[in-house]
Parts: sequence; C-alpha cells; structure tokens
Amino acid sequence: MKNIEKFILAVVFLGTVSCSQDILDKEPKSSFSAQGFYKTTSDAQAGVYGIYASLQSNYRINFAYWGEGRADAVATNHSGDPSLLAQNTLNQTMSSAQWNSLYQTISRANYAIKYVPEVSQGELGLRLVGEARALRALSYFYAVRVWGDVPLIIEPFESAEQDLFVERTDKELVLDQIVEDLKFAAENCNTNFGGERDRVLITQGGANALLTQVYMWRKDYQNAALTADLVLDNSLYSLVSMADWSNIFTTGFSNESIFEVGYNDVQTNALRVLYALGSDSDYFPSEQFRNSFEDGDLRQTKIYDTTAAQPRKIWKYFGEGFNDESPDPSSNNIVLVRLADIILLKAEALNELGQTDEALDLLNRIRTRAGLPDLDEADAIAAYGDVQSAILHERSIELSYEGHRWFDLLRTDKAIEVMQPINGLSDAANLVWPIHEDALNRNPNLDQNSFYQ
Amino acid sequence: MNEKNKLHLLRFKRSENSVSRLVSTTVLFFFISVLTYAQETTISGTVTHAGTGEPLIGVNVILKGTSKGVSTDLDGNYTITLLPADAVLSFTFLGFESKEVMVNAHTSIDVALTPVTSELDELVIVGYGKKKKRNLTGSIASVGSEEIEKTNQQDAVSILQGRAAGVQVTSNSGAPGGAMTIRVRGNSSLNSGNDPLYVVDGVPIESNSLSSLNGTENFGLNPLADINPGDIESIEVLKDAASTAIYGSRAANGVVMITTKRGKEGKAQINLNIFTGVSEITRKLSVLNASQYRAVILDSYRNMENPTEPTFAVIDSLSPRNNGDVDWQEELLRIAPQYKIDLSVRGGSENVKYSWSSSFLNQDGIIINNNYKRVTSRLNVDFNASDKLKFGQSISYTNAINNRINAGGSGNLSVVRELLIRPPSYAMYLPDGSLNGYQFGKRNPVGLAELATHLNKTNRIIGNEYAEYEFTDALKLRSNVNLDFVSMKEDEFIPSVLDYRPGYNTGAVRSLTNLTWGNETYLTYNKEFNEVHNFSGLLGFSFQNWKYEQTGLDGMFFPSDNIRTLNGAGTISGQEVNIITEHSMLSYFGRLSYDYKGKYLAEVNLRADGSSRFGADNRFGYFPSASLGWRFSDEAFLKDNTVITDGKFRFSAGQTGNEAIGNYTSQGEFAVGVNYLDYSGAAPTVMPNAGLTWETTTQYDAGLDLSFWKNRVMLTADYYVKLTEDLLYNVPIPRTTGFSFITQNIGSIENKGIEFTLTTRNLVGDFKWDTNFNISSNRNKVTDLPDELLTNGFIQNGNYHILREGLPIGTFYGYQFNGVYSRDEDNVNGVTNGSQGAVFKGGDPIWEDVNGDNIIDTDDRQIIGDATPDFYGGITNNISYKNLSLSVFFQFSYGNDIYSEINHQRNSVVRYNNLSTLALDRWREQGDVTNFPRPIQDDPLQSDSRIQSRWVEDGSYIKLKNVNLNYSFPQALIGRFGFSKLDAYVTATNLITWTKYTGFDPDVNSYSGLRAGVDEGAYPQSRTVILGLNFGF
Repeated sequence: MKNIEKFILAVVFLGTVSCSQDILDKEPKSSFSAQGFYKTTSDAQAGVYGIYASLQSNYRINFAYWGEGRADAVATNHSGDPSLLAQNTLNQTMSSAQWNSLYQTISRANYAIKYVPEVSQGELGLRLVGEARALRALSYFYAVRVWGDVPLIIEPFESAEQDLFVERTDKELVLDQIVEDLKFAAENCNTNFGGERDRVLITQGGANALLTQVYMWRKDYQNAALTADLVLDNSLYSLVSMADWSNIFTTGFSNESIFEVGYNDVQTNALRVLYALGSDSDYFPSEQFRNSFEDGDLRQTKIYDTTAAQPRKIWKYFGEGFNDESPDPSSNNIVLVRLADIILLKAEALNELGQTDEALDLLNRIRTRAGLPDLDEADAIAAYGDVQSAILHERSIELSYEGHRWFDLLRTDKAIEVMQPINGLSDAANLVWPIHEDALNRNPNLDQNSFYQ
Repeated sequence: MNEKNKLHLLRFKRSENSVSRLVSTTVLFFFISVLTYAQETTISGTVTHAGTGEPLIGVNVILKGTSKGVSTDLDGNYTITLLPADAVLSFTFLGFESKEVMVNAHTSIDVALTPVTSELDELVIVGYGKKKKRNLTGSIASVGSEEIEKTNQQDAVSILQGRAAGVQVTSNSGAPGGAMTIRVRGNSSLNSGNDPLYVVDGVPIESNSLSSLNGTENFGLNPLADINPGDIESIEVLKDAASTAIYGSRAANGVVMITTKRGKEGKAQINLNIFTGVSEITRKLSVLNASQYRAVILDSYRNMENPTEPTFAVIDSLSPRNNGDVDWQEELLRIAPQYKIDLSVRGGSENVKYSWSSSFLNQDGIIINNNYKRVTSRLNVDFNASDKLKFGQSISYTNAINNRINAGGSGNLSVVRELLIRPPSYAMYLPDGSLNGYQFGKRNPVGLAELATHLNKTNRIIGNEYAEYEFTDALKLRSNVNLDFVSMKEDEFIPSVLDYRPGYNTGAVRSLTNLTWGNETYLTYNKEFNEVHNFSGLLGFSFQNWKYEQTGLDGMFFPSDNIRTLNGAGTISGQEVNIITEHSMLSYFGRLSYDYKGKYLAEVNLRADGSSRFGADNRFGYFPSASLGWRFSDEAFLKDNTVITDGKFRFSAGQTGNEAIGNYTSQGEFAVGVNYLDYSGAAPTVMPNAGLTWETTTQYDAGLDLSFWKNRVMLTADYYVKLTEDLLYNVPIPRTTGFSFITQNIGSIENKGIEFTLTTRNLVGDFKWDTNFNISSNRNKVTDLPDELLTNGFIQNGNYHILREGLPIGTFYGYQFNGVYSRDEDNVNGVTNGSQGAVFKGGDPIWEDVNGDNIIDTDDRQIIGDATPDFYGGITNNISYKNLSLSVFFQFSYGNDIYSEINHQRNSVVRYNNLSTLALDRWREQGDVTNFPRPIQDDPLQSDSRIQSRWVEDGSYIKLKNVNLNYSFPQALIGRFGFSKLDAYVTATNLITWTKYTGFDPDVNSYSGLRAGVDEGAYPQSRTVILGLNFGF
C-alpha cells in the first residue's frame, strides 16, 4: 500500500512540475498577434492589400459627399448629409465630418511602411512600400482638402506609451509629406502589372496622376504639367471612344482609368443609393447642371435621365435608360483618377503657364470625343469668359458626379462665387468641413475649425 | 401533448380569466381530498429531549420512504396512522439527531432525541470542499432543493431571484430559455465582466451566452438553462472574499456553486414528476385604434413648420394597405401551454451509489410560434474501489431546441417593438390574400414570428470524473478531470415577404463548439488535536483550457423562401466566419483553517492564477484572503442563557480578480480576411497593450449569525465594502491612431452594502408556519476615472447612461421634462432650442434650463434617474397542515428607475409609430393643459427622441412571484396502488405585480450590467400556472 501512495504522490508532483507555464502561451489561431505579423514576404503583400481594402469604406459614399455634396451639380431631397451639405449647414455630428476611415488607411499604411522593409528587401519591398506610401498620400490629400490642417501621423501606433493625442499639422506640411510619398511611389511602384490590376492597384502612372492633382491643388503648374506628361505618355492609358464612354463607370477597368477603387458583389458601395435608386436617390441633377450642357453634347443622355421633366436619376454609373427601384448595394468600381481628368488638368496648367494654344488642344481632345466643336481662345472667351473657365466647365461635364467638382471650385477659388447664389456660402473659413464631435471628444489637443467653433 | 390536453387548453384560451379559475378549481380539489380521507391503524407516543427529558414540540414523525408524517404536539405526543407491518418510523427534529424505529407489533413508541447543534451542522458547499455551516467564516447564501422544487422554474438563475441576499437577478427576456442578468453585490467592472463564476459539481462551466445569431437583441440565451433544476440539490452563492478567493481571478463577481443530487445508500427510489401548465402575458398595454391613430398622424403633419397633408398614404383608410384595424397584441400573444416530465432513480449499496435522472420540457412562449424543448439526462455515480480509493462521476447531457422570436433591441426586426408600434391601420393581408409583410419601414410582426426562422439548437455535456485516495483519515488526495462541451447550431432566415425589396431575403447559419476542460488535483487535511484544536488544510493546483470554434455563412437572394439552407443562397454575402480562439489558465491554491472548540475560527486562502490573456510579465496574479470567526454564544457568559442558541461574528478580507477581456487583447491583433477584391489582405484591428493586468477587487465583510430560542429565529447580517481597481476598460482613443480604443487598466469602483436574512419558525406542530425573509441594499459608486477619459466630466456609457465619479454605474443622464407649454406666450423667457434654433411654442415640451441661459442644449442635461435599486429581496411563507403545504413567495425591488425606450417609441409619431392611449390627451391648440406634447412629423426640436426624464419611470415593484400548493396523498390510499409517495401540486408564477411602471413588466433589462434598467421592448414576462403530480415508487 505504501508503494501505491508513493506512486500517487510522485505522479501528482510530476504533474504539477511538468505543467510548465508554456501552456499559458496562446497565440491567436484565426488572426495574428501584433507581433506575429510581418514575418514573411507574403505577410508584406497581405498587409498592403489590407490597406487597399480600407479604401472601399473610405470612398463608398464619401467620394460623393466630399467631392460633389457641396457643389452645384447635385440637388437633393434627402435629410442628413445630402441636405446639410447642399444647404451649407454642416455640423460636427454629420457623418461626412468623420475621418476615421481615412486614418484607418493611414494606420495600415504606416504599419506596412515600417515593417515591409524588414521582411521584403529589394524590388518587391520597395514596390510595396511605394504602394503603401501612395495610399497614405491619397488619404492625406482628401484629409487636407476636407478639413485643412490635420494630424500628420507617419508612424504606426503599437503601444499605449506613444503619444496618442496628436495635434493638427499645418496643411502645407502635410502636402509636403504627400508629395514626398507620391514621388517615392512614382519611382518604386510597378510600371504595370498586366490586366485588371493596372487599374485597381497603384502603379507609377497612378502615382504621377495623383501627383498632378496635388500639384494643381498647390497651384504648382510647372510640376503639374511635368507629371501630367508622364501620365499622358504612359502607354497604359488612352481615351476610350464615346461608344465606350459609359463603360468607364459601369464595367470599370477601361483603358482610360488610372486608379479606381475596386468593388464586387460582396465588397459593395452606395452608388445606387447615391445616384440611381429609382425615384428616391440621395442626389439628382441640379437644374443649373442640366442647363449647362452645350447643344449636341453626346454625354448628356449618358449622364442623367433626360427623358424626365424633373430628372431623378443619374445614369452615369449604370448606363443610359437604367431604371431600377432596387436599393441593392452596388458593385461598380469608383474611378478616382482617369486620363480625361489629367488631360484637362494639364490643359489648365499650361493655360496658367501662358501656353494657351496647347491648353486648348488638350481641351479640344475631350470636346471632340463628346461630339462638340473645337474651341479657340476667342470661342472660349465668348462662351465662358476665359480659357480657364472653359476648361473648368468641361471638367464639370466630363467628370460630373465623379467627386471632382467641389475640389475644382476650391482649388480655383471659385467656390464662394459659384455657391453663394445657391446656398449663401460666403465665408472662406466655411470652405472646410467641421471636425467631427467624436474626434474632438477623443482628443483634447484638437481645435475645431474656426468657422464651426 | 394528446388531443384531450389540447382541447383542455383551448378551453382555457376561451375563458376570460383562465388562471384564476384554474387556481380555484385546484384548491377545491385538494380540500375534498383531505376531507374524504379516513383513518386506519394507529401508533402513538411521546418524544422527549434525551438530556433533560422535556417533551419536544414539533418533531417530525414520518413513515420512512414516504412523505406521510405528523408532528408532535405541545406535550410531545404524536399519533400516526399506518398500514404496513414492517414500517419504520423516522423522527427528525431540527437541532437533534434523527432516529429511526421499527414499528413491528408496537402500538406505542416513545423516543428520546439527542441534541446536536442542528442545522448549523449541515454541510455547506465551499470552494474545493464542504464546511459545516456553524464553522463558516465567510458569507454564503444558500438555496436548497426543497425550495427549488417549489418554484417550478426552469433555470437555476431565476430561482435565485429574491431568494438569496446580496444577489440581484433581472430578466433580459421573458422568453423560454431567455437571458438573465445576475449581480452578486453590485457591478464591479466596466468591461462587461460582471457575471459570477458558475461551478457545477466542481466544474467551472461556461456561463457566457454562446449564441451569435441574436437578431436585434443585446444579449443571447441563458446558458444556465441547460441545467435541469430538478437535478439540483443546492445552490450556494459565495459572496465575500473569504469564500471566493479560492477561485482567484474569476471570483470578483461571486461564485455560484451548483450541486446536483447524488445517490444515497438504500433501496432504489424511483420518482416521476409530471406537470402541465399555461402561461399568459402579465399585462397588455394600451394602444390607439385605427381612427384615433389616423387623427394623431394628421395632427402631426398639421403641426409641422410648414403644415402639409401626409404625402404617404398612411392615413388613407380607403387604401387596401391602410384599411385595417388590427390589435397586434391580440394577434401575437397567446395562452401558451407547457409541460415537463422528470424521472429519476436514486439509491445504492455501501460501495456503489447512483443517481440517474432524465427530464423533458416542452414550453411554448407567450408570443406565437415561440417554443422551447429541452431534454436533460444525468448520471451521478460514486463507488468505493477499496477502503482507501473512491471513484465517481457526474455527467449530464442536455439537448435544447429553441425556436426563438426576435424580441428586444431596436430596429424593425423586433417582434415586441413592432407589436406595440405598428399602426393598427396597417392591414394584415393585402386584397390578394397575401400577407402585408412590409409597409413604410415596418415589418409585419405576425410574419416575423411565423415566417422568419430564428432557431438555436444546443447540445451540451458537462462532466466531472474524480478519484479520491485516502492516505489516512486526515489526509486525502482528490483529482478530477472536468469538461463542459457545448455544440450549437443556429439558423436565421428572413423571407422576402417581410422586405420591401422583391426577392430580398437573407439567411445565416452558425455552427460552433466550445470546449472547457481542466484538471484539479488537491490534498485535503482534517485533524482534531486534543479535542479542541481543529486543523484543516487544502493544497492543490488546477489547469483549465477554453477553446471556441465557430463556422458560419451569411447569404442573400435565395430564389425561394422555402429553401432556407445556405446552399440555396443566390449570393454568399462575404460574412464567412471561421474562427478559433483559445485561452488557458494555470493555478495553485491553498487554504488553512483552524478553530478552537468551534469557538474561535480562522482561515486563510491563497490562489495564484496565471492567464494566457495577459502579457508574459503580468501573467500571474495572487489572490489572498483571511477570515476570523468568534462564536460568542459558546463563551461562559452566554452559556446558560435560553434566548440565544447560537451567535457568531465573522470578519473577512481578501482580494479577487477579473480577467474578462478578449483572449488576445493584450497581444494586439492583425485580422486576416481583410480582402481587397480577390487579393487576400490583413490589417491591424486591436492595438496591443502588453502591460495589461488583472482587475483587482478588495473586499471586506463583517457578518453576524444569530439564532434564538433553539433556532426558532435565525438572523444573518452582513456588511461589506468592495473596492475594484485597475478596471479593464476599452478606453476610447483618437481615431487618428487607426484604432477606436485601447484596453487599459484604469479607474476604480466601490460597492458597499448590507444584507439581512431572517428565518423564523412561527408555528410548529401539526400546523407549521415558517418565514424566510431577505433584504439587501447595495450602493455602487464609480470612485475614480482618469481625467483624459472624461468629456464634460463624465464618460457617456451607451445612449442613456453616464459614468461619473461619485455616481453609480446605472445613472441615466438627459433632459428634464417639465411639462408642456400651454400657450406660445408661456415661454416668457423666449427659450430656444440650441443657440440658433426655434423658440419653444405652445405644445412644445418645457425643458429644464439648467444653466439659465434660455438656450436648451447639451449643457442642460442632468441626472434623470438611476437604475440601481435602493434595496431588493424576497419573503417566503411556508405553511403546512398535515399533508397540505402552501408556499407563498413575494419578491421586490425598490427605488430603481427604468429608462423606457419602448415608451418613447410608443409615444412618438416618428416613422408613423402607433401610440399609446396617452396620446389622446395630446396638446392640440393654444391653451391646452396637458403633459403630452404636440406630435410633429420630422420634429426639428427632437422633442421625443432626446434622452429625457419623460421616459424615466419608477421601476419599483413587488411581485407575488411564486405560490405553491402541495398535497401529499395519505399512504393508506396510495399504498394500494404501489406508490410510496404521491403529491399533487399547483404552482403559480408571477401571479400579481404591484408597480407604477407602465411597460409590460418592471423586471426588465434590455442590456446587461453596465447599461442596466433600459426597456427597449424586451420579450414580456408571463404569468404561469402549472398543475403537477409527483409519484414515488
């Protein structure tokens, strides 16, 4: 009996001792721990795709709220953000005042920019960092255009010890960072991937196109013209014919597209709800917009429902004649930059640099496709007052509802002039959005934009 | 259920007051039975005190193996009628050792009983052992099987409601199998981890709801409903640190120990308990009829800034969609039948003891198409392999099928919300005979209940295998392997008829397993030295592992509403779920107890817990406790008094912990499946914090146990202070970090309270009357919050509550509603809504302008209520006369407020809601004096929707919670049919509620814990009456 007792005690003792604390090391199985990721090249690739994934929520509805909501082409019956923006009664609880999603992109990019070089050196690593930096730049570019000065964060947050309560940085410094990131991307990204990836991932062409937009925003026409040239010379991009024009938006992946945010049946956006939910979408074309078409513009019937006396449908993303009451989410890609945009930006830049004829040539490439006669300088002045206005008008039609109009008005200092008769916009301090209440509550170091204080 | 029963129930449904009729019929039946019983052979005698020779009054004299028995009278005499010649009489008396005597041919039997110190010698379950009640130095509330049986409630948690001091139980849902919230001595944590630890026969079980398809509800199902109350021998709630510290890091919120019935030596006792019953809603609420409703909606359009006529056809009584006059409560609520069968066999020999039981419960909910079926089976066996070696097991299996109804929460999928706010004018059917499934944002609740699928199927095994080796009488080693395995499958489907989009239906499926298993091995030592020094010790370790695996899919665009499995989905909507999470804990624990003659008692506990949830440097936490007891009644100065039978002071202090955070929170998380188109991506989703550590609760308890006049009156009182520090909290951080929060240890909370339990034996003898009364009061207060978390001095906690230093966790914060401006000119100060908003006019609410700036804005919010009760408790009266016994239980809660979101919904015209009849008194024109503001469509003043005192109501109540009437048939009658016992009983639950609350029921809690006291339209409570028969063979 004594032996049995000794045996039992021995087993228990061994059991206790051998129960080492290793059993308390539990790594996640269905995800990575923060320290467990970025160990392999495939992690690096996955981390960068994760940044792209966040673009889908950034722009699913906000590309229109930010880029069209406060401008003159849209009208709305809807309460919430659509009417607050249209009536210029922005407040700090509206959903488009939230920057959460943009900073999520920035955070993911910061992780990638820090860790990709540790696991993937050489060309692939540089390319991935290039894409990450371009996506960070894209997010900051929206942020400065919407809020002005914003917190500039270029390191990932990995510990509670870091300074979480970052103040706002002067927008010019943010823009400097954007330019630096995009220049890096323009050098290190892929020239092309081949196939559809050329449109939904960042390439060198994409980075140059974004740079063109940024330079134009900064009124740096010299550099804008240079980067625009790089885009125009890029064999990936060509203008599609008028017959295929709608396909740029309805099917996506066109040769004219430079960068579009990809969506599919399960990764969806709100295009239908925004523009085409039968009788009751967020937006319909404003009367002013409808009256701004030149006669014979082939695009008009492709942009909105011209059959109705009070058009309620914007057809641009769904094709002429689209008639559907379904509020299903939509799977169209959202085109953020395309060749026509860059051509017209270059036209604008050249015009500013005094190269009016070259500018008009570029403008007329777009007009010709739309079935409109060429303009010379005299025509442009006669019709629109000056060449810049002619180009801006052309942009308002060609790029309508693509999220450019409000930023064009801001960048050319025409926002108050255009919008004051419509909604009384009069104060330059009112041109930015308010910072969302939630952001202010979470960060005592943030000050509200002066107009909204 | 057979046809006859169905008919029976149908008849009930027709009768207007079925429940009261049922009660009176049953009472009558019992009395007739008593009166018609005739006496037979007789034995009599006297029972005396073995020491003093005094007669003993109220001794139970029972024919062994039956429930038949009598009590001794004032002279200690008894008379009992017997049938069998081989009968054995058993004499039991509280405070005395029981005695059994063979009757043989005697006609007179006198017995002397030896005193023991009684019920105080009953064993109480404590962590890793048992202890005599008299030797307890901690604070433990206990509910025994007899009390449990009388409740006829179907889950262990609801049984505790009002029956255990210091334990507050509220209902999240009145549905069968629905969730409950239980708080032991208040909320001690901010991050959801406020539930006690549940230990069933030594197995720490999973007590979090595992269901993931809960529709709009904020909570899941009640995992404790998987345990058949019929199997429960006792429930002990360990409350103070002395009792709980042995469970260390999981014990800060108390420990609920559930012990199931085990076999005892003797002949097999077969028991069959069958009941059937019906439930109905405790009350219906008033709603407008169709014409009253149309009038309110018309008013609401005319009251707009630019008065218009409704553009939608909501008020068009000619439209086929709007010409209904439906009482949705009538359509949705029903008298719901239920029945249950319990069968058990218990017995054993010297070396093998067994207890087998099985039960089947079929319970319909009071909302149509809601049904809960549960099968349980349990086998508890103990056997002696040798003198020194014992083995045994407790194993139970449960299969539950819950055909659920989506009730509670916001959104138009909640049946309860829809049945109150769906306009009566919305037709049930369209002219073509099809269901009017969706109209202006409202789904047809009848369709939701009958056509949508919301099914939960649970299979669960809880098991514990142990071996015990006795080295000496004093030293024992026990080791067990335990497991709790849950397998759950959930299905959800919302057919297209309930949607406005043609062909738009959605389905979801989830399948999960949750395995908790572990080993506990410990040595126990018990020894008495020189008959005065008693030592006992415990030393052991335990390992516990939790693994959760879930797989699921969401789909939409099913071509048919009839094929509801996901293979029929037109689109798999990208919500594929397939996750595994794991967590483990390694612990060492010990206990040392000493007492001197049972007079001076001392105990220390220590547990060291290591959890995989914390970073390597903070993994182990140490949780000590110490307690002292002084039985002053054993001191010489009280020895000879006849009043105080027993008296003891208890003091305890100690620490417990809380690790209720995500399994991987401290490590941070990179989620996979963050895909861009077909490209697989990953992204950081949880910010790491390697410095995270336990929440620590330090608790002090002072208690007094007193018993007077030989235990005729027993009182237990406790005062405690609980301070919880290093709260694990999801601290909101700037979203510019890319994250929404980081989990940190911050702040502290204090709970202080008193608890009284009073048990009196008012009458003994043939006519017995006992009373149990308990009352508890807990004061909860947030004592520290870091400044950087505060906005305007507080943290907004959900929509209705705030967290602020010095205030309890359940504090409601909003605008004070002071009535309605009768005329425009009554707003003499020209108070405006916001700095640039409109001036309040006649018919608008008068908001209290706290800062007196004549502007009503967020600065004018104030404390408008508190969900924490001032006190709560219950009182039970047990009365018995011979074979008839009656138990009446009242439960109460006083001083708690309810934020009635459902009353907001049903008093507002937003989204064309139907309104309560209060709207008949609405403000209509200048000069109207009323408290019901003018209804306005698209109200720019947000009169109804702001968080306000108008929706805060006094939630105090007292409930006649349980009445049980039991009649034991005389042995002489039933013996002929081979029964050793036959009881007939009727039990009524939730019979009457006295309250000022105007919702369905004041026992409501739409959110658990931190956001207590909100009624978002929870599944209503029901009144239940059941009739049962309990056979013994």
